[in-house]
Formats: sequence, C-alpha cells, structure tokens
Amino acid sequence: MCEIESLRRWATRCVGHLLGWGLLLAAAGAGAVETRNVLVLYSNGRLVPGNVEVEAGLRSAIASSADRPVQVFTEFLDNPEFNGPSYEQTVVTYLNDKYASHPPTVVVAVARESLNFMLRHREVLFPGVAVVHAAVFPLLNGTDAALPTDVVGIPIEYDIAGMLQQALRWHPGVKRLVVVTGSTPRDRDWETLLRAKTAPFGDRLSIEFFSSLPTADLFRRLAALEPDSVVYTAGFYQSGDELNFTPRDSAKAIAQHSAAPVYGPFSTFIGTGVVATLAPRFDTMGRSAGEIVNALMRGATPASLNLPKVMPNELGVDWRQARRRGIADDDIPAGAAVQFRQPSFLEANRTASILGGSVILFQAALIVALILEHRRRRKVELTLVERGSELAHVSRLAVAGELTASIAHEINQPLAAILSNAEAADLLIKSGRADRGELLSILDDIRRDNVRASGVISRLRTLLAKQAPRRQPFELNATIADACELLTAEARRRAVTVVLKTSAEPVPLDGDAVQIQQVVINLLLNAMDAIGDLPEPRRAIHVTVSRRAHKGTVTVSDRGHGIAPEHLAKLFDSFFSTKLRGMGLGLSITQTIIAAHGGRIWAESANGSGAVFHVELPERAEATAAAQRLETA
Amino acid sequence: MTPLIHVIDDDASLRTALMRLLDAIGLEARGYASTGEFLLHPPPDREGCLLLDVNLPGPSGLDLQEVLHERGDALPVVFLTGHADVPSSVRAMKAGAVDFLEKPVAREALVGAIERALARDKIQRAARSEAQQLERLFASLSLRERQIFDLVVAGKLNKQIADELGTSERTVKTQRASLMVKLGAESAAELGSLAERLRRARPPADS
Repeated sequence: MCEIESLRRWATRCVGHLLGWGLLLAAAGAGAVETRNVLVLYSNGRLVPGNVEVEAGLRSAIASSADRPVQVFTEFLDNPEFNGPSYEQTVVTYLNDKYASHPPTVVVAVARESLNFMLRHREVLFPGVAVVHAAVFPLLNGTDAALPTDVVGIPIEYDIAGMLQQALRWHPGVKRLVVVTGSTPRDRDWETLLRAKTAPFGDRLSIEFFSSLPTADLFRRLAALEPDSVVYTAGFYQSGDELNFTPRDSAKAIAQHSAAPVYGPFSTFIGTGVVATLAPRFDTMGRSAGEIVNALMRGATPASLNLPKVMPNELGVDWRQARRRGIADDDIPAGAAVQFRQPSFLEANRTASILGGSVILFQAALIVALILEHRRRRKVELTLVERGSELAHVSRLAVAGELTASIAHEINQPLAAILSNAEAADLLIKSGRADRGELLSILDDIRRDNVRASGVISRLRTLLAKQAPRRQPFELNATIADACELLTAEARRRAVTVVLKTSAEPVPLDGDAVQIQQVVINLLLNAMDAIGDLPEPRRAIHVTVSRRAHKGTVTVSDRGHGIAPEHLAKLFDSFFSTKLRGMGLGLSITQTIIAAHGGRIWAESANGSGAVFHVELPERAEATAAAQRLETA
Repeated sequence: MTPLIHVIDDDASLRTALMRLLDAIGLEARGYASTGEFLLHPPPDREGCLLLDVNLPGPSGLDLQEVLHERGDALPVVFLTGHADVPSSVRAMKAGAVDFLEKPVAREALVGAIERALARDKIQRAARSEAQQLERLFASLSLRERQIFDLVVAGKLNKQIADELGTSERTVKTQRASLMVKLGAESAAELGSLAERLRRARPPADS
C-alpha cells in the first residue's frame, strides 16, 4: 500500500514537473504575454478550515493557460483578532505598496468582513477593479441590496426550513421542535432569523425556544426531552449564565446533553454529535467565485453575469449519529455528504474479504469439480471394468478357439477309454469269460475316466464362463497348476514341455482366479508360439510360482528368440503384435488384469536367450497382516 | 499263430482299455506309451498291425509311420486321433494308413479297421515271401543267364540274342535251356509271367 501510494505521488510529481516545464517553455516561446493577477482577500486567518477549502475550490476553477497566465495572490485580514480603523489603514497602505507592481485584475473578497473592507477602501486601493465576493451571508446584514454593480457574487443562505423538513422526514412522529440560541448580539440575530424561519412549522409542531438559558438549566432540560422532539441550533457565543462558547463548542455541548436528535446550519457541526446540517460547501463557494473571476477576465461585464440568487445547500450527515437516531442508510438522500461512516466488515476489509471470499468460492468450486470428476472417473472406471471384463472374456474365448484341438483330444481320451472299456466288459460278459475282478477294475477305470473328462470340461467352463470379475480368496499355486493342466494337451500337440515349479508354501491371494489363469495361459501360449520352430531340446517353458515379501510371483520363461529391445517397451500396448495373425490384445488384457489386482507385469529379454515374463501380485491383506503380526511377535 | 496288435498311445488309461477290448475280441495286443518305446522293442515277425495315436509326445504317430515305411517291413497302420484334422489324415492315408479313426471309436469300426489291416498284412506278407522266393531263384542264375532272361522277356529271338551278346545261337540255346530249368519254367510265356511278378515284387526304387 505504502509503495503504491508513494509511487502514485512520484508519478503525480513527475507529471506536474512536465506540465510546469511545458508551461514555462510555451510562455518563453510566446514572448511577452500579459499576466493577469487575482487578489484573494480573506476575512480571517490563513489556517481557518473554511478558508482552506474556499482556496482549494477557487484555484481549481481559475483558468490559467500559457497564453493567458493568471497569478493568484492571497491576503488575510486576520479578523476578529485584528480590527479597527488604524489597522485597516495599515493594511490599505501595505496592499497599496505591495500590489503597485502587480495590480490585480479582479479582487475576491471572502466572507463578510473582507467584503466590508473592500467596500470601504476599494476606491483608494484598486479603483475600477471588480470585486467578487464569496461566503457572504447577507441576511445578518441588511445592506446588501446596495452593493455596487461591479461587486458581484453568490450570497450564501442557510436553508433552515429544508433542514427541518428533512429532520421531519427522518422522524415522522415528531411533535415538538426545540430551538437553542444564546445571548450575544449575533446570537440574538440568529434567534430573530430562526423565529422567522421556524414559524411556518407552527401548525405541525409545538415550537419552543431555549434562549439564553443558564447552561445547567439548558442541559437538564435538553436531557429531559421526549423522543417526539427534535432540536435545532446554530450554536451560540454566550449562555444565559455568561459562559463563552464558540458556536461549534456550544453545539457539541447541546448534542451531548440532548435526548433528542440535534440539527443545525453549519457543516462544521458534523462530528460534535449533531445528526445533520444543511449548508453550502466552502469549496463550492470558492469554485463559484473562481468561475465568476474567469468570466470577468474573459471580458464579461459584472452586470451581464446571470448569477444564482443563492448558493445551493448541501446536506451533511454524521453517519454514527444517524445510526444512533435510527435513520437508515437508504433514507439518507443520495447527494448527502456522509461522514464518519463506519465501514461494514466487508468494506473495512475489502481486500481480505474479496480474497477470503474468492478462496472460499474457489474451494467450493474445486470441491464441486472434484466431486464431479470423481463421479465421472468412477463411471468411467465402472465402464472400463465392464469393458475390461468383456474384453477379457472375449480374449478367453479366443484362447479356447486356439485350444480346440487339444481340448477335444483331452476330452476324447477319457471318453474313448470309457467306450472301449464298456465294450470290452460287454464282450467279456456276453462271451461268458467275464471274471469279476476284471469287470470291477474296468468299472473303476470307467469311473476314473469320467471324472477326468468332467474335470476338463469344468476347467474349461470356468475359463469360458462370462462372469463379472469376482474378488475372492484363492491360492496361487493351485490356480497356476490348473492353468498348466488346461494347456497340457496343447503343449503335447505342439511338442512343448511345460515345467511347473510351485512354491513350498501356499500363496494366498485375493482376486479373480480365472483371470489370473487367463494371464498365465496367455503367457504360456505366447511362449509356445515363440519356441514352436526351435529344436526339441529347447522347446521347454518354465513356470515358477514363488512367494517373497508378501507378494506372489509367477515367472514364465522360455528359451526362444527373445523380444527385440524396440518391442519391449510396446509389449503391453493394445494392438501391438509381432504375430501374423495376432490381434495384439493378449498382453494388453493381461496387463489390465494384473493392474486390476494391484500387481504388475513386466518382461525381460536378453536377445537370443529367450524371454521371461514376471507377474507380481500382492498377497491377501489378512495374510500379509498375519505375517506381520508373526514377525513383530 | 494268432496276429499281434501293437497299441501305441501315451494315455495309459485309453491304452489299457483298448488292449482290454482287443483281448475280449480275441486278439493278442501289446501296448507302448510312445513311438520310441515301440522302436526299442522290435515286433516279432508275426502277422499283425499297429493301432497308432496321431498325437504322441516326442515323434508322432505319423513320424513313426514314415520310418516304418522306409524300412520296408511296415506293419499296416490304423490311426487313432482325438481330433481328425484334414492335413494329418491326408498325410496318413497317403503314407498308406489303413484307416484314420476318430476317438472315441465304436467297436465295430475298430474291429473292421483291424480286420482290414490284418488282411493287408496277410497279403503283404504273401507278396513279400513270393518276392523273396523269386529273388532266391534269380540269385541262382549266372550273369549271362540273367542277360539272356532279360532279352527273352523283351521278346528277342535266339539269333538276335546271340548277335547282341556276340556269341553263337547254339550257345544261347544251351544257356536258355539251363535258366529255364533253374527257374522251373517250361515256356517263354512262363518266363514272361515270372518277369512280371519279379517287377511287381521289387520296390520301384530298386528297379
């Protein structure tokens, strides 16, 4: 913040310098241009807040340009501390001497005392120079109608009735108006004015003047006011017990003691406890005077100026008091200058609020997005599982197709044996040569072959059944042995030896045994393809089941041609195949299945010396846990 | 002497069942688990046939059939298969298989095939013994007598033969009479028939 502020100031200064230099250069280029002077004479001191605001408005309005430069000088009469005829004479001499070299084109008189000074001495000081007055409140002095024609300005007037009407709008239930005034001549002037201005409200309200009351009495009576009252005061200089105040101090005391809301004419009252004031703004007065000065310097005659009769009033509101008096923000007119507004939490901590809000919004959005994403992913996963299991099933069917010959052989063997045995028995019995022991052993053999055939069929049915993937405990050795068994006939058909080496201890796993079998069958068939054209001694596939580090592993190794290094990386990709009739789905499905079991599969191949496929599967959780318990025990 | 059936199948259960059935039919059978086992135990010179499984560990039934055929003393083969694929059956039949039976085999089909195989074996044996007899006969001829035999069978006259061999007609006549005695033939026509039988008995590769 500080940095930004200083940066902004620096930038402003730079622009200012540039403009300054620009003006200077332009002035030099234009040659001797007549500089016009404006003298602003203030009634009182340099640092009076009203003067500062008037000055700001005035300077913002006065048009100065390179070809028509205007210089503004300011002087202060320092009333009321310095006054009297001899003082005035000194000031006249001073101004005469001082401005001999820079005679003003226009004089601006700010406030009543300055205007009066100029009216008294202008013929001596700046004869024929127009005077523009500002911040002059004419109603306390009845002589304004007699102003010379070249003395112009917009008089100010306090809109007392307007303030009261606004107060009544804010407090509709009000029945009583209390007006507080003091005892000095100025206070009396105000009392007269206020009596005149409040009179029209007499039919709606009971009006009561607390005039020149002793402070104690005044404060007591203010404190005792009912809620159906409002107070109006212009402040006072002296109370009934001859205590001196400034109007602002008196207003402050009144507001502090009053049970009813207090209103007044001066914007300086805002901050003392007064709820609202209705008065012209000082910077507006300065700006208006500046615009009149511009017009006069452009050559307009004072008489031709069509000036408003009075300066517009502006409502000033003390936000804290308004709130205390039950005035809603919505009821404050749009143009009002609201001060002391306490920003709401959001306003006070705008950045933090926006940031916090944004973070919360972002978080909420993120959460929603994540939930949606999660649902979407879950859906996709389910679809994938469905598709995956369907694909796995299709792949198993394909494997079965490949195995038709060997499966037929395997089923036919026991069936053929059964038939031959039955016919042999039949012949033996018919020929009367039947011997009981022989017949019994025939029946035994028939039974055994029957079991054998149905074993093949049930293994095949398990493999081919279209079923959702199941997650159940199974033992790896038995599962792999089954898979090898299923391929025995195929291996024989292809003249390949499958050597199975199971692990010494059981390997308990969780998952779908059929799918794991499918994986091993895939790997075995691939290996058979790889070694099909090798001489017989090398046509062997080694399947090894082992258990280590809570993982079950199966390795399938052959001594075929191996896998080319450039193929090794793409091995598990879908539709990658080096076989003529391969779809390239086998290993892809294999990997999907292994991944679904939380395991991994990888291949190794030293060129020319065969391929080794490793399948690693996590052990059943409880088995793992039990093993861990044993280890820690 | 009863025929001897050689059953070659790696499936012990089926082999036993087949041998049981053959026994019940009244045929003597011998079982082998592989082609190698059969080759290690040469069959006695007896009438018989092979009941051979196509798919065997190691050399297959088809391989064995080929080897036996090359050795020339082939016993007729009846093939058994779990799955009769066209290429194997064509190969088997071309190589002279008697039949190609799909498991499981009904008794009638099996008995029929075996009977045909044994009949063929009988014929082959007869042909073989006749050929051997002829060979023995011809082995007794001298070189000149064989030359004269070939020319006579080719339809040449004694004079033409004498010219061709650079000898006298008289000498040819004498040697011709001698070879006809040795062969037990009484006319040129009988010589022709002998020549035909000899041609048929000899494997084509030898001619």
